[in-house]
Amino acid sequence: MILTEMAPAWIRICLILTLVSGGFLLSSRNLRNLVRTYQVQSFLLVLIALGLTALEQNMVLLLVAALTLISKVCGIPYCIGFIQKRMSLKQDLTFSYLRPPGALMLSILIILLVYICFARILESLYEANSLFFLGSVIGVSLVLMGLIAVCTRKMAISKVLGYLSMENGVLAFGLFVTELPFFIEFVVIIDLIILVLLTSIMTVGIDSSIEEYKDRMQEFHLWSEEGGIS
Amino acid sequence: MNGESVIFGVLNIAFVLLISPFFMMVIKRVKARVQCRTGPHLLQGYYNLAKLFTKETLYSEYAGFISRIAPYATLSILLVAALQIPLFWIPGEELITANILVFLYLLVAGRLLIALLGLDTASTFGGMGSSREMSLSAVFEPVTVIVCAALVYVMGSFSIHEIFRTAHAMFPVFSPTVFLLSVPLFILIIVETGRVPVDNPETHLELTMVHEGMLLDTSGRNLALFELSQAVKQTLLMTILINVVFPVGIALDLSIPACILGAVLFVVKGTILCVIIGFFESAYAKMRLFQIPNFFMIAFFFSILTIFIEVIL
Repeated sequence: MILTEMAPAWIRICLILTLVSGGFLLSSRNLRNLVRTYQVQSFLLVLIALGLTALEQNMVLLLVAALTLISKVCGIPYCIGFIQKRMSLKQDLTFSYLRPPGALMLSILIILLVYICFARILESLYEANSLFFLGSVIGVSLVLMGLIAVCTRKMAISKVLGYLSMENGVLAFGLFVTELPFFIEFVVIIDLIILVLLTSIMTVGIDSSIEEYKDRMQEFHLWSEEGGIS
Repeated sequence: MNGESVIFGVLNIAFVLLISPFFMMVIKRVKARVQCRTGPHLLQGYYNLAKLFTKETLYSEYAGFISRIAPYATLSILLVAALQIPLFWIPGEELITANILVFLYLLVAGRLLIALLGLDTASTFGGMGSSREMSLSAVFEPVTVIVCAALVYVMGSFSIHEIFRTAHAMFPVFSPTVFLLSVPLFILIIVETGRVPVDNPETHLELTMVHEGMLLDTSGRNLALFELSQAVKQTLLMTILINVVFPVGIALDLSIPACILGAVLFVVKGTILCVIIGFFESAYAKMRLFQIPNFFMIAFFFSILTIFIEVIL
């Protein structure tokens, strides 16, 4: 009973912190901090899923929370942390198109745009429950902020974290609006794990930009001059 | 103006003057401890001020009237600002119009006087410090306005007394927007008091100093007045954060037990905040000048986010 009463406030705070973590993913230059931020963001989604479970008594949400905890809070950050140990660089200082202040400004505009669009599209949802409306706006904003991270970051590892943040946004949106089926969420997480594993395999070039990747693979005799994997 | 508001003015000014050097020393002590040093005594700030007040004041041969009036004017401006910020007791009636915009203008006026002082002494370091201070101010002032706009929007009033009253009424229910507001308000303290990573108050290196550069040619009583002004400014900014985020114990009526409890709790909360500031300063290196706007942008992002969340909720 107490949990049900506390859940909306708890979910609101977690949602806002999720959005804040999206901002940190855009502005932080320290790679370890980036991974930790992703870990915290995923953990906040676990808390949101638990809050929604208390609110709606839906056991599928509990499974989603457990799956997210195992894969995104523990598994994926561990893999990326493992990659980082093999890297000589600890910071991502290079950006393309937009630097962190510009990226933050753009993300503010995106949040406002998403809010305006959703206020028209999901008008009935807003009238019915402002919490679910907030969740949907923050979910989609997080997806677009992840996309900004993918576009503005140069290092492959930062781009991967951008993709992962985008998926967190999809999960947040799915939790509040579309009731994403458990099976789809499960498949998405498998995709993410494969993405991180592939990134781990290509550790040789993880600290380079995408443009430098081919050169790095040639340097390690993983790519032949004829254009194929040797 | 009634008797209560006059008592408020006297108590507030006396308390802010009394407690400000202590808070400065707490931060210095925490920073020293982090660096494995003993650090100054917690009363060292008072001893320093007492010593400086007895020293002779020297003026540059090029110094004009600004060098003579700026120390007194700066402290007076900040004491007028102190009349607007209730520290431990919110009176029923305001002594002067406690408007947050007036408070911001007073802070800007104080900064302008110090920048003029830097130029008035005609020294290279003073001019350089003034130039840097004004360049940073031009970037940070709009952010400060947005931070205050977020505060006003969340609390629904321009009056600082009313803002604190609303925060006190809201307190037991934890609001996410108040939590969000705490970040830009904390950054505001760091920036306005010239602390790491924006400026380093303990350095006198040509390459890094901003605020200290402007005061390099002041001495004796004038330096004591500037140090006291800086401490008062820090306490006032800290008070906004403390009384908005954690207003527990603030007295709402004029009774001796309530005021004593409010004052004691304020000192405790202020000390905790100083410890946090000390750790924050120790954890970061000073930013390059052109990187500083990135730091301001975080405050801007949080303020806009606060307004946005308040609109939705």
